[in-house]
Amino acid sequence: MVSVLFHPLNIYILGLGGGFLIPLLYRLAKSRLPLVFFFALAGIAVVSGVSFIEVLSGAPAIEVLTAGTAPPVSISLRLGVVEGFFAFSVNVVSLLGAIHLWPRLREHYGAMLLYLIGVMGINGMVMTRDLFNLFVFLEIVSIATYGLLGLAGTARSLAAAFKYIVATVIASTFFLLATALLYFTTGTLNIDALASLPEPPAGPIATTALILLLAALLVELKPFPANGWGIDVYETAPGGIAAFVSVGVSAGVFFALYKLLPLFAPWLDLIAFSGGLTFVASNLLGLRQVRVQRMLGYSSVGQMGLLTLALALLEKNGAVPAIPLVVGGLFLNHLLAKAGLFWLADLVGRQSTAGWSPVARRRVLVASFAALVVAISGLPPFPGFFAKWELVMQLSAAGYGWTIAAVLVGSLLEAAYMFRWLGRSLHARTDETLTVTGPLQVAPVAGAILLLLAGGGLAAFLAAPFSLWIFAPLAAGAALALVERLLHPSGRVKAALALLSVAVIGPWLLPGVYGIAWLFGALFIGGGLVVGLGALYRAEPRPYYYPLLAVTLLSMPALTGAMTGLEFLVCWEFVTLGSYFLIAHGGRTGSQTLRYLLFSLAAAFLLLAGFGQIYGVSGTVDLGVLRMLDADANLAFVLLAAGCLVKAGVLGVHVWVPGTYALADDDLTALLSAVISKVAIFGLLSITYLAIRSQSGLDLAHLLAWIGFATTLICAGLALFQDNVKRMLAYSSVSQIGYIVAAIALMSHIGWVTALYLVASHLLVKGVLFLAVAGVILRTGAGNFSSLGGLAGRMPWTFAASVIALIAMAGLPPLAGFGSKWLLIGTMMDREWYALAAVGFLATFAGFLYMARFAYGLFLRDRGAAYAQVAEAPAALVVPQALLVAGILVLSFYPKLLMEPLSLAIDPYFAASLIWEGRSLEQIYDALNPLPVMSMAVVISLALFGLAVLVYRRCAPARDETGGTSPISGFLMFFKGVLGRVNVPGFSALWDGLAGLTLWLAGNVRLLYSGNGQTYALYVLVYTIALYFAA
Amino acid sequence: MRRQIFNAIVVALFGVIFAGIVCAYDERQFLRPLAEFYVTQTPLELGLPNIVTGILITWRGFDTLGEVAVLFMVAASVGLLLRPAPAPTGQLLARPPARSSGEIVETGAATLLPLIFLFGAYVIANGHLSAGGGFQGGAIVASGVVLLLLARPLTTLPLGALAITESLAGVLYVSLGLLGVFFAGGFLDSRFLPAGEFGAFVSAGAIPAISILLGVKVGAELSVIVDRFRA
Amino acid sequence: MDFPVSHLALAVGFGLVLIGLWGLLSHRNILRIIISFSLVDTGIHIVLVATGYVTGATAPILDDTMGPGEAALNAVDPIPSALVVTAIVIGFSVTAIMLAYAIRLYKAKGTLSIDAFTESKW
Repeated sequence: MVSVLFHPLNIYILGLGGGFLIPLLYRLAKSRLPLVFFFALAGIAVVSGVSFIEVLSGAPAIEVLTAGTAPPVSISLRLGVVEGFFAFSVNVVSLLGAIHLWPRLREHYGAMLLYLIGVMGINGMVMTRDLFNLFVFLEIVSIATYGLLGLAGTARSLAAAFKYIVATVIASTFFLLATALLYFTTGTLNIDALASLPEPPAGPIATTALILLLAALLVELKPFPANGWGIDVYETAPGGIAAFVSVGVSAGVFFALYKLLPLFAPWLDLIAFSGGLTFVASNLLGLRQVRVQRMLGYSSVGQMGLLTLALALLEKNGAVPAIPLVVGGLFLNHLLAKAGLFWLADLVGRQSTAGWSPVARRRVLVASFAALVVAISGLPPFPGFFAKWELVMQLSAAGYGWTIAAVLVGSLLEAAYMFRWLGRSLHARTDETLTVTGPLQVAPVAGAILLLLAGGGLAAFLAAPFSLWIFAPLAAGAALALVERLLHPSGRVKAALALLSVAVIGPWLLPGVYGIAWLFGALFIGGGLVVGLGALYRAEPRPYYYPLLAVTLLSMPALTGAMTGLEFLVCWEFVTLGSYFLIAHGGRTGSQTLRYLLFSLAAAFLLLAGFGQIYGVSGTVDLGVLRMLDADANLAFVLLAAGCLVKAGVLGVHVWVPGTYALADDDLTALLSAVISKVAIFGLLSITYLAIRSQSGLDLAHLLAWIGFATTLICAGLALFQDNVKRMLAYSSVSQIGYIVAAIALMSHIGWVTALYLVASHLLVKGVLFLAVAGVILRTGAGNFSSLGGLAGRMPWTFAASVIALIAMAGLPPLAGFGSKWLLIGTMMDREWYALAAVGFLATFAGFLYMARFAYGLFLRDRGAAYAQVAEAPAALVVPQALLVAGILVLSFYPKLLMEPLSLAIDPYFAASLIWEGRSLEQIYDALNPLPVMSMAVVISLALFGLAVLVYRRCAPARDETGGTSPISGFLMFFKGVLGRVNVPGFSALWDGLAGLTLWLAGNVRLLYSGNGQTYALYVLVYTIALYFAA
Repeated sequence: MRRQIFNAIVVALFGVIFAGIVCAYDERQFLRPLAEFYVTQTPLELGLPNIVTGILITWRGFDTLGEVAVLFMVAASVGLLLRPAPAPTGQLLARPPARSSGEIVETGAATLLPLIFLFGAYVIANGHLSAGGGFQGGAIVASGVVLLLLARPLTTLPLGALAITESLAGVLYVSLGLLGVFFAGGFLDSRFLPAGEFGAFVSAGAIPAISILLGVKVGAELSVIVDRFRA
Repeated sequence: MDFPVSHLALAVGFGLVLIGLWGLLSHRNILRIIISFSLVDTGIHIVLVATGYVTGATAPILDDTMGPGEAALNAVDPIPSALVVTAIVIGFSVTAIMLAYAIRLYKAKGTLSIDAFTESKW
């Protein structure tokens, strides 16, 4: 009985019966209309759901025969696992969409019946096994769309709908012609029979028919450039209708393509090319869009292109087992996220992307918005991420390098315009408020997000069943958010709770981790906790900041606990996203947040490509393979290293660092610089094994050393000339990262110990300095050298901590034990890398200068009574500084405490390496006594300084009248002028130029979309011809 | 001008594609197995001489149901698109009085209309026996309605009744299909009624009933659609 | 006369399609574009019927001249004939909707030139 009640046939009976009843009810019993409509729609969803579960649990695919006769005599339908998945997900979204659209559907009973029968038609497209019946269902869906598009009624939307009709009618005409010709050549219309013909249909008629069929389906999927008609409709239709077209109708057509794919075996590459071109081009054009729905439209057609590409290439390379995860994941992700965004666009009701900031006043809306943007950009924890991961793995294994590049570039472009839109809307910039939206209106969007999360979990389970623990940081964040929502604790309580969760959950994320990973894990937890304490100095509530903080801080130990590339990348993305939202939370960062995100995402995509390469050569994503990979993996190394370097912000890609650090909240900057920046270093350390094995790898390492030292030198120079204190520390941070990179590049035991030592020292030092600056800014309200000074007496503890930190950073006595960079330079000289060593000396000189400037400018310089009333920083800032200073002192005087675990951590990896000569670490450190190098550096620095002062005295114009400027800044200004003419590299200009070029390109390409329906018809025809002759 | 040349090239290239088909085309000399099955078995299994009707209503009845749905949706879509805008009151009389359609048309309509409707009914009812069927007959009936509207522009069609008719016919159609599930082989199987005597007016199972429903539905829908364009 | 009749019908059908395509690309008036679509449709329907023809055969309706026994040899393929009924109805449907849109577009802008409806672009 149950099986009769939930038989898939009921979908059609409900759809048509309900549809036919609606006018009757309209005349006779109007009040029952909503009941019948939603009953039928929900019934369709339930029936498909029950059937889906049935086939999923192992029952054979359900065959629906009509007319009581088997095919090919009569039409049959089939609901297997794949059909069930597509039908069920579309039906659920359609139901949510109907709830969303209800105010509009209610206006006219015709709209209701069109929607209902349209949904049924999509089910038919998914399930039918008859080619002509597919045509009929395609038409049912099309007509429903045509009708629904008339709902808006503006001239703009009517014109768009007409263009849509013109293009799709051409496509369906070709479909019909192809069906007729295929029947003529094969004598059957049954898809199974067509696909299993003893020999594929050949001859000019059959070939033409197949290509026309393919063209029809591809055109319906809106390929570039024959898709302007679709985008116009997305732009002008009501959001709910656009969602129906974008996810529902496209789903049906896409499934038709999937079903017929066996017929198109000779042209899979062509299909993939069209899909890839669409993906990249649409996302490029999306960059230029300012109207929300048009932008979503470009994203929509792009996503369909990606789906097409994935399907065709997986099929071609026999990676059929990956199809459920890749295609299913991408499909589900797009279905839910895009529908959610379109619905949200309806609720917000602002056409321009720049006008969305009022959304920030409604926490539910802005949270939903953020979740949907993250999802549509293919980031974890949503299914699109896992699907893309698997896609890249499969493409790598099959050797599709350029395709991967296209996929990643397209994804980056999409993320760029999506996050640009989101970033502008995170803070309300006007007094406008949104017209109130009740819970029922938000329900469909919220439902979509919940389903996305469920889908993400499912996709993660499919991709890596044993990796679900990586969601632990998110779960912790969610729990904290819940506490915040229900109990409304004060800001400090929330901060304490977040830190507590890090302390409790963090260690649990590190089981079975040993060596370097364990060290970093401990460093992340400890550093995060101590530097994170700084957050306690702020009393304001910071809504939902602390849950995000917990996610970010917990994702770092989780990263060190990662066993596979997938786990690693998921945690990496969590750190990126978490810190992005933390930075954006402050509200002062503006476009810097976007910069930060884009560079971070680019880094993540490089890593993704790198892991793909490793999968390609080794067939596994286990991180353990990094240490024993025999095959040549230089490309993988280059990609992975590039990813880590971008994230670390080395020279050239450092442009995101200063602005981000300067504008983020002061306590957050401390975390970013001291702790979060080490994520990239951890990544770099984990992958360098790849380079050790070959000569070319070691050459690459030499290059790495140069990159590191160039960063150190130039960023130290740039630090010197900053007026903003935090900006100066930011450059200093990058400069120190350069040392670490160079140390790693030594590829030797000593180099790595030095790197780890530097990591620890940088964490401690930058933690102190940024927290000190936070206190200074809090007390004085100023953050520039030009206005600060004389705080030594006012803030003695802060001053003392800063001085100790500076001495430690400089590596001077009595904290010389801290000066592992001397070892670094010494090792370089031992290796006869003299040029590098010279650069190192020069950088040291610049470093001395800016450190002196920091101490002088903030604390010693006389400011008279300007800051006479200033008090010491609050305990919440001084205590963590004291803890960090204690760490500095302990490490300086008892270096063994760190040395031994470091040595142990590295030993097992280098046990067989040539470079490690079996001596104990202390022996090595004795052999490389830092003192000579240090003295040399000091002498060189003094000499250079003397020279500089001499030059300044001789050449600087008399400037006594500018009494306000300090001697140091006058000195610096002079050299800035001198150096500026020589070599202040315009890296920012370079990246801005690249962005400008991309926008220029997009601006020109989009001129293709003239808006003229006839031109679009021409494109469709030309596309068909091109396909025909290309095939 | 450049545009026209480009268009010409596109059309010419399609000409090339189509010419390829025409050249490769070879007229069939005999039926393929599926077609032969239909031709030989339809009379036996469904009990009707018009094989096309048998295919339309039973074998590929699912297509026909879909097609009915399409027409039904078109009626709704056109209604939705051409729904009277909420005009301010007083403008309702703005439409100029329709011109008289002339004596020839009026007289012709008076003479022909009964014949047209009769012919439509005949075509609908005899669809299982000879060329014709619900769609064809329905279209003839609707063309009669068009003639009526041309001849007497002020005629108002009973839209409410027509809408109820088309809905009811649709619901009944689905119900007949369901009867097939319970009393014959499956959805839309017309064999739940006895085949009767081959070639008789009442024969071929439920096919004539479905045909009549189709005819009524199509006739009503087309009339409604045409009427909506008058607004 | 050995030029097969269905060959001719096929060529005519495709000819109509080409005329329709030309019309839809070169006429600016929306009504003319709709008419062009009707031409394309009609052409395709003719092609559909033509491909069902079997040399020397007749309509697949049994009667006094063609009993059940001869049908297999004397009837044309009934499937395209059945399909074309559906195709015609769908073609009609699309035309009706396009015409309804044409009316709305004309009401909105007072013109039927397709060049006037290009607000959404780029």
